[in-house]
Amino acid sequence: MIADLRSGAAPAEITGDVCVVGTGPAGITLALELARKGKTVVLLEGGGPAYEEDSQDLYRGAVTGHDNIDVANSRLRQFGGTSGHWTGLCAPLDPLDFEKRADMPTHGWPVTREELNPFYARAQDYLDLGPFKYDLADWSAALPHKALPLDPAKVFTDVYQESPPTRFAEKFYDAVANEPRIQCWLHASLTDVTLRDGSDVVQSVTASTLDGRRTTVKAKTYVIACGGLENARILLNCRKQRPAGLGNEHDLVGRYYTDHMTVETTTIMFNEGVDTSLYAADMQAGGTKLLIGLKLNPDLIKSMGLNNNSAFLVPQYEKDVYNDDFRNYGWIAFSTMLKTFSRGHVPDRFAERYCDMTDDLGQVATGVYRHAVRSFMPPAHPARVYKLRQDAEQSPNPDSRVTLITDKDPLGFNRIALDWRVSADDLLKLRRTHEVIGAAIGAAGLGRMRLGIGEKPDLELAYSAYHHMGTTRMHDDPRQGVVDRDCRLHSVANLYMAGSSTFTTGGCANPTLTVVTLAIRLAEHLAVAA
Amino acid sequence: MGNFTRRALLGSVGVVALGGLAYGGSRVACRFVPRNHPDFFSLLDMVPDEPAVRRLGRSALAADGLARDLPSLAAALTDRPLIRQAIAEDCPTTRKTLVQDQCALDFADDRTVVVDGWVLSETEASLCAARMLSAQPV
Repeated sequence: MIADLRSGAAPAEITGDVCVVGTGPAGITLALELARKGKTVVLLEGGGPAYEEDSQDLYRGAVTGHDNIDVANSRLRQFGGTSGHWTGLCAPLDPLDFEKRADMPTHGWPVTREELNPFYARAQDYLDLGPFKYDLADWSAALPHKALPLDPAKVFTDVYQESPPTRFAEKFYDAVANEPRIQCWLHASLTDVTLRDGSDVVQSVTASTLDGRRTTVKAKTYVIACGGLENARILLNCRKQRPAGLGNEHDLVGRYYTDHMTVETTTIMFNEGVDTSLYAADMQAGGTKLLIGLKLNPDLIKSMGLNNNSAFLVPQYEKDVYNDDFRNYGWIAFSTMLKTFSRGHVPDRFAERYCDMTDDLGQVATGVYRHAVRSFMPPAHPARVYKLRQDAEQSPNPDSRVTLITDKDPLGFNRIALDWRVSADDLLKLRRTHEVIGAAIGAAGLGRMRLGIGEKPDLELAYSAYHHMGTTRMHDDPRQGVVDRDCRLHSVANLYMAGSSTFTTGGCANPTLTVVTLAIRLAEHLAVAA
Repeated sequence: MGNFTRRALLGSVGVVALGGLAYGGSRVACRFVPRNHPDFFSLLDMVPDEPAVRRLGRSALAADGLARDLPSLAAALTDRPLIRQAIAEDCPTTRKTLVQDQCALDFADDRTVVVDGWVLSETEASLCAARMLSAQPV
């Protein structure tokens, strides 16, 4: 069942086994998995079935740190959550990402990649991916091109899969609506969490609409699955019985915010005749769309004290018509509107996108022209020059954080300030990573590299990948993490967090696959515990 | 001034002939004597005297880890086995291959240097630096 809290049809008290707050990839996966296991689920969504400006406005906040980032529009407050505009790139986190590291005392998850593997395998279906295979050897027989002959002790070829991308609202709306064990309420924002007097047990949560309707939800177990920024905002705002906020006894909620540093710099010039076709953007194998990149050997990453990174090759053509440098905000707005209209929908943020497109009409025209030319005149020769594009890992940093500001939203919650820290040290680690790739390419006699990151790095090279992670990080020690290995708040008996806020570190894989994986794992746990 | 006698003429010719014979014989004989004075400078023919190379050479001379004068650069390069082979090689194609192989070995052994952003092998950076120095007026 899906209903609207604004309709007035909701009872004063709604009950279920589990209350899940948020209908993004984590919330919907969790609700469906729990329902299949016989649990009744109350699923709350703060937004509506599609984009609404007044709901989205609740996400507005301040950016106080590195400012190549956004908190208002990078996430979506609507049914399906941010899956409404994600790009679909998927890979599991690497075993290395879960390990404790001597050179980084706050690195290391309380779970291993091996423990997550069965859940990763199940998550593939939710995201319309191929089989759970991410080693080149698994795909090489089906791939039409060979990998670069690099020394695997230094650099190896890495595989990502691409989701269509799955829009959870489109794919799962009917499944949620038709599931008798799920009652989903739209326009139902969580506005309070009440603990039973004198205990560490949640007694109820309050859901409110922007027009003042309220209801109380009572369940045995509660899960907050509202995304990497909102999860922290909710906990920090629930100060009625815990003055520092729920789960914030050690001043950890909101800290360790991490993102991926999207950096497109460093150039590789390959020698004539070097076949780089495998690394093209449209690689298919057995019906699965892949994106192939270059990654450092994990032993080398550890011994050199580097961060994890997958670097993808972006071709640079001599003739401008084959280059994609027209892709600015105007082009993205135009392309999004075109795709949405072609599916028979009106794009969200239509006015904003229309104006973005109008502002950059020249770039849009360039893009349309180049696409038209390419369709009947593909490049005569493959590119020999490539830039490296990556979503690079950041080292854990407690000073990179989400805090509350005095400005309040219409529901009475304080808005957030995001102080995202990008450090020169992390960019220097990326530079060193590139040097290793450059040396491997030189050793194989394939070409030469020119570094794009200087010895005194320009921090402006780094843009947010809009992968908000780490604000309620998972750790066995309550002094180092907000949630335990089961994603339960250390200090609240029946309150769990789902989503990328629980990531202890970010690795370099796009987070959605791991978000869904952890949701399936949490459902398994709650099916027994709830 | 006395007369130049026939005897003096024959003696002089003999001395010159003997000298020539000694010199020619020595040149022939010396071809079979191994010597440890490789002709490093002949390698520079492989590095074009172009503005880009000079620019790299100038940056290489400012970079850490490389020698900054011709004798030291020559000494460092001739320490490398494939460079020694290249110097002793007459065939330009084989020389080029040997230098390229030495560059690849440098990369594999992490003997790299960053010059003007380029990740280069020490060998090629040294050759650019040497080309820069050898092109400068004395």
